Amino acid sequence: MSVSVLGQGKLADLLRDGVYSETRSAVIVVEVDGDRSISSIAQLTDAQIDEIFEQPMQRVIGALQEAHSMNCERIVVVVPTTGMSGGACYAPQAALAESARILVKSAARQWGASGITVNAVAVEPHWFAIDPSISGPVAIAPRSLGGDVSPVGLVNWLCGATSGDVTGQTIVCDGGLWM
Amino acid sequence: MNSRRLENRVAIVTGAGQGVGEGIARRLAQEGATVVIAARRAETGEPVVESIRSRGGRAVCIVTDVSVSESVDACVASSVQQFGRLDIMVHNAFMGGIPHKLEKAQIEKHWTLMSRTGVWASLFCARAAMPHLVASSARPKGEGGGRLILITSPSGVEGSANIPLYSPAKAAQRAIAKSLAREWGEFGITVNCIGPVAGSPALLTAFDRNPALQQAIEARTPLGRVGDITDDIGSVALFLASDDSSFVTGQTIICDGGSFLGL
Repeated sequence: MSVSVLGQGKLADLLRDGVYSETRSAVIVVEVDGDRSISSIAQLTDAQIDEIFEQPMQRVIGALQEAHSMNCERIVVVVPTTGMSGGACYAPQAALAESARILVKSAARQWGASGITVNAVAVEPHWFAIDPSISGPVAIAPRSLGGDVSPVGLVNWLCGATSGDVTGQTIVCDGGLWM
Repeated sequence: MNSRRLENRVAIVTGAGQGVGEGIARRLAQEGATVVIAARRAETGEPVVESIRSRGGRAVCIVTDVSVSESVDACVASSVQQFGRLDIMVHNAFMGGIPHKLEKAQIEKHWTLMSRTGVWASLFCARAAMPHLVASSARPKGEGGGRLILITSPSGVEGSANIPLYSPAKAAQRAIAKSLAREWGEFGITVNCIGPVAGSPALLTAFDRNPALQQAIEARTPLGRVGDITDDIGSVALFLASDDSSFVTGQTIICDGGSFLGL
């Protein structure tokens, strides 16, 4: 059974190609737009707050509701670690990422009794065009993995039957870049 | 105890007409700060001003709608015009929080107001206050120090089964605090959050209607009681506003008597 992947961009495409499950599942890639970093909060306009935070967050809420209406048993929300770490020049993007990540917990609490699991996967900021060198110092563990750290395997597991007791969690999949 | 730790400092506290905001405003005023009570309605803000003044404190009320950027800008501008500086910005005001089922939630009814008063307003307050907080931090040690304090909630960390969309609004504030802590560190400005559980008017009213609720909350709280808005929550805000916390930034202090231990 194919998994419904909601979202756009390289990461969403990767997940669309690589994630399969026998369980009815939805993967929501939050539209965090790292191309729109702001030089300073003083330069942030109301229109930017709407475009970078508000509208994508409303779409996350809508996507979760859609997944529920599709009777999905597994829902995975993918965000950058920037929401947990914070990011200089990325305050509205970090707000969006963290807002979506914590909404996962609320959804898990409400929908757990229905057998629906809802989890978050936090990936390297670069998947969302966020520059980690200005979002904050994040190099914690020595990288032993080459190239991009792909979350496909983790998302596959979270969409599968064997992860049924895991809900409301955030799993960081970045090769130990941020802890 | 009153050690006047905030003598000559100027603070704005949004949502200070009642509840946690009022408690924070009172505590900062006790320590010598001139406090701007930024309240949506003068009917709630002015009595707090009078009460603070009656105890020897300095306070004014500026009617402010935090969901409107121009109103926040005007509040900050007026405060600086009257008192010549702004050192401490506390964004506490928040509206919304109707219990709902996530699958049936409506954006306009269950999200927009919380987003505007929580997330947008945090950014409005930060943006308006920033140049003045920079100026405060540029003052000689002991004479200033820019502080931004955002009032979040334990629900912003652990999610909520009762009001699911409340949690993401509060979570966003924590991310904003961390981001601005990074962004403003070079200026010496600190940015932190408080996650309180306190005897606000809304909670006390709920207790009156349902004493079992009070018993349940107190039973799950290690310290066995709900926080006092001034002595408990206000004192944490005082710490974060004062020089005592000059090396603390990007943090959330959960102030709930130990009910939430998940950090």
